[in-house]
Amino acid sequence: MEINDVEDEDFGFSRNYFLAKESGTSAKKSAHKLCDIDLVAEEELRTTAFDLIPKHDKEVKALIGSYRSVYQEWVFELRCGFGLLMYGFGSKKTLIEDFASTTLTEYSVLVVNGYLQSVNIKQVIVAVAELLRDQIKGKRKTTGSLSKVEQPFSSKSIEDVFAFLDGSVEEENDSFVCVVIHNIDGPGLRDSDNQQLLARMAACSHVQIVASIDHVNASLLWDKKMVHTQFNWCCHHVPTFAPYKVETTFFPLILAHSGSGQTAKTAAIVLQSLTPNAQSVFKVIAEYQLAHPDEEGMAASDLYTICRERFLVSSQVTLNSHLTEFKDHELVKTRKHSDGHDCLYVPLTSEAIQKLLMEISQ
Amino acid sequence: MAASGSDTADSSSSHDNTENNLQPFFVLHRDCSSPLSSSRPKSRRKLNEEALHEFDDHYLTNLRISAFHSVWSNIETTIKGVLRDINLSIFNEVDSWVHQSFRAVRSCGEPGFAEATHPYPIALDALSKQIFTGFVYTKNMEFVDDQLTFEELGNHLKSSGCHVANMSSLDFSAKNGIGGCLTRLLRKFLKVTLDDADMSILASWYCGHMECTPVVLIIEDMERCCASVLSNFILMLSKWVVKIPVILLMGVATTFDAPGNMLSSNALLCLRTCKFVLGSPTQRMDAIAEAVLLRPCSWFSVGHKVALFMRDYFLKHDGTLTSFIRALKIACMEHFSSEALSFLLKDIDAEDDFQEIWKEKHAFIQDMVLKYSSELLSCRSDNVGAPTSENLVQAIGELKRLHQRWATVVKCLQEAGKLQRVRLLDLYSEALDPDVHRSMISDNQGESSSRNGSFSSQHGGFSKRTSTFKAVHKVRDLPSAALSELLNSWERHAVDICEIRDKVKELQVLMNSEDTKSSGNDLVNVSMRSRGTDAPKDPKVLNKKAVALIEWMLQDQMKPIESFPFHEILCFKTVEKLQTALLGDPRKRIQADLLGFQKYLHCNCCSTRGSRLLPSLHDTSILYILAQEHGDIINVHDWFQSFKAIHVNPPTKSRSKSKHSSTPKKKKDIEHFNNHSEAAIQARFCKAISELQVTGLLRMPTKRRPDFVQRVAFGL
Repeated sequence: MEINDVEDEDFGFSRNYFLAKESGTSAKKSAHKLCDIDLVAEEELRTTAFDLIPKHDKEVKALIGSYRSVYQEWVFELRCGFGLLMYGFGSKKTLIEDFASTTLTEYSVLVVNGYLQSVNIKQVIVAVAELLRDQIKGKRKTTGSLSKVEQPFSSKSIEDVFAFLDGSVEEENDSFVCVVIHNIDGPGLRDSDNQQLLARMAACSHVQIVASIDHVNASLLWDKKMVHTQFNWCCHHVPTFAPYKVETTFFPLILAHSGSGQTAKTAAIVLQSLTPNAQSVFKVIAEYQLAHPDEEGMAASDLYTICRERFLVSSQVTLNSHLTEFKDHELVKTRKHSDGHDCLYVPLTSEAIQKLLMEISQ
Repeated sequence: MAASGSDTADSSSSHDNTENNLQPFFVLHRDCSSPLSSSRPKSRRKLNEEALHEFDDHYLTNLRISAFHSVWSNIETTIKGVLRDINLSIFNEVDSWVHQSFRAVRSCGEPGFAEATHPYPIALDALSKQIFTGFVYTKNMEFVDDQLTFEELGNHLKSSGCHVANMSSLDFSAKNGIGGCLTRLLRKFLKVTLDDADMSILASWYCGHMECTPVVLIIEDMERCCASVLSNFILMLSKWVVKIPVILLMGVATTFDAPGNMLSSNALLCLRTCKFVLGSPTQRMDAIAEAVLLRPCSWFSVGHKVALFMRDYFLKHDGTLTSFIRALKIACMEHFSSEALSFLLKDIDAEDDFQEIWKEKHAFIQDMVLKYSSELLSCRSDNVGAPTSENLVQAIGELKRLHQRWATVVKCLQEAGKLQRVRLLDLYSEALDPDVHRSMISDNQGESSSRNGSFSSQHGGFSKRTSTFKAVHKVRDLPSAALSELLNSWERHAVDICEIRDKVKELQVLMNSEDTKSSGNDLVNVSMRSRGTDAPKDPKVLNKKAVALIEWMLQDQMKPIESFPFHEILCFKTVEKLQTALLGDPRKRIQADLLGFQKYLHCNCCSTRGSRLLPSLHDTSILYILAQEHGDIINVHDWFQSFKAIHVNPPTKSRSKSKHSSTPKKKKDIEHFNNHSEAAIQARFCKAISELQVTGLLRMPTKRRPDFVQRVAFGL
């Protein structure tokens, strides 16, 4: 914390940044392309990725298990009114849910999967309020006073729901609902409106939050008011090194989404749904492109002549309808030829076109 | 979604349920046990030893949590009280201005009943369209500190009969527009949310009130509001000002001309302004530090290292009171969490005699408490043997007494340092240093103790205590009037501590007698004094005596809490815990995790043998370590090839060895490495990249640069 340390750190940081920038621009950029890698088929890649046996499985489990010794401390912090913020590399889903289901049995627990795009925080808040009402009712049953039927929270305004969650706390009776938020910095929760709602929920007296963050810039989501007075975080560094399996379910695989195999495959699927004549028209363009790799593309008039010769189309109108279909699916694009007229080309690499032709001729 | 979420509820084994993983949210379990019992059941005797131990733990935990809540609410109330006192004069000023302005508005004429109930504003001349507006300058960019101030201001005005609504910049966002802020405004006054908010509703609400009171609108952080929305809002209010006598109060964090720069000229024309200025953050910090740390509002205290950390955190981190208070709260919580006996703080804090409570309330856990206290470090070194009940009660009484003395000396030092602008936090953290105090005493024993007034910065540890030295040094140079004032303040602080008070009084008597003596010679000496060349030596002697007095206080009366037995009960010392809980620093730690993962997994296969990367390393770690060799952008092809090379080719050293001696085991290893199919390696690579993407350490390829990813963090 000494000033000198901070300055050294800052200096080291900026130095690293400029060094990295420099080596990125001055050193020759590698010209290798992603498609140079001999990529396996996307499906195979996906199934392999799904079935991968994680390394150090035993050690990861032991590491996650080792945190059990501090569970009691975490509960203590929650009961003192702090929110728990878990960070560190590795999926913390198992860890937090294990903590909640073994130690927080006295409280209702709601889990929010923040890594999903489809999270709707307003629904979460309503669900929390319903849980709390059930919890309070359950406790009142024992004392004998049952409250009358109430309006459902989903039809109340958000302000009223917050007012209910922020009700006064009876002495000696810390009844709260624990909301576990996996990836509070997840893609679906990253906007400021959602974070404001979460912060307001966290500030309610009957709600305690246990959240995990994974993004290095997660702290930028909150201003000082949110951090200090609403979330009231108590941070815990809990690296687990467990694979982010569910968190990355909807992430595109880098080697699958831009490889030639992938695009050829999708193109083949589209083509197979078209008529045989349409497929043949496409073949004409593709074969021309393979035969003349240096040209910008095939002239539309040439295409018409060849198609008529092969009895693929009977008129310019039919050809145009095929071409519109191709263009809609981005199988064919047009560009200006050097001599000025429009020409047609397939926006794929030669290898991809070869693969595609093989696929549709099968 | 919500319904499906609740339907899947109640499955305790849901954490491995893939269906739940794809639900936006689900109920893990419902409250399934009886409420926590904080009382001790009578059946304790029937429990076996292990269960008994567990039970005691549970009981103690509940005691500690309840003690935390009680101690912290004490501290919080004290803080609020201090802040209220600081702001009280300004609040009163604002209050009288509000009422004065209200009278001015009403003097322009009140609308008749028919007029008031019309759902449109009354046409007015420009002058009576003006809104009385008070700009409250907070002198603090950190808005978070002033939230409480405006809340208190609102309460203050409410208590004097105004209708008050506190609004913030969130209500004046461009997204919600003027409609949004009107809805919020109506909600604040009418307590209902209306879809078609309209000013006429507010007007009829106001008209419905029999008594005429001002309507005060507090906008807490004016500069953060959307300028156009706020300007339009002001224009709209101005049209209704006769029907609804609105008075605006706006918090301004920056300069005096900020409102002028921000609002439109039309809106500015509608404002009749007045300025109020709040106290500075440093002033508030000092007042809070004094009230919370020096006055025994609760007996909770912190150790030297924690105090240093908190001071640095306040000064160098963000300088907000809120963050300091949160640091204190976390320290307090950590203390109750880690120290088994901390629950006694609640009883120490109570007005009643601790001895009584000990005998009555804790009768049945005395053994347990004594067992824990025998484990305290401060008691082990005391050579007294196992602590007994009397021992403990006595020691706690002594702790309170000594701590009070310590606080008194710090307050005396603060009075002396005020003139030198010495910060209380500095004095406080220096005064807590047990090492300096120890060395001071040992130094003093070595040297002769008759060094009255010969105080130097080199003296026993004072090189470390620069602020204390400054304060003491100032005493030596004080003119006699200021010195006498200082002595008066010392007397006030030491009112409960006879030893100090007597010595101060002695000095005061001496001073008075000198005064009367010198007043007789005044006429003679006045010319000499004014020249200052041959001033009488008497005042200097008094200064020396005062320095000797404060020196004596420092040595004999200011024993840091960490040097007493049983201090662990009151004092939180584990600065590391506070630091990790408060700061976190995820950005650095996540990267450090990736670069040094063996530290956590303790596996044998990846022990660092040189700087070579082993295929057994965590995939994401390998990728991230490899990424360090690249510039700001990384060619995915090259990255993949190096990743593949690590998996496919055995490490160079073992390969060269295997050529010479290819034992069956080595061969098997190589086979194992080669067994990695292309698909598996590509899948591992993809997964690792996705994981880096989750951590945000990587920006994925774009259309413009399809073969490169971008690094985001450079160095820890």
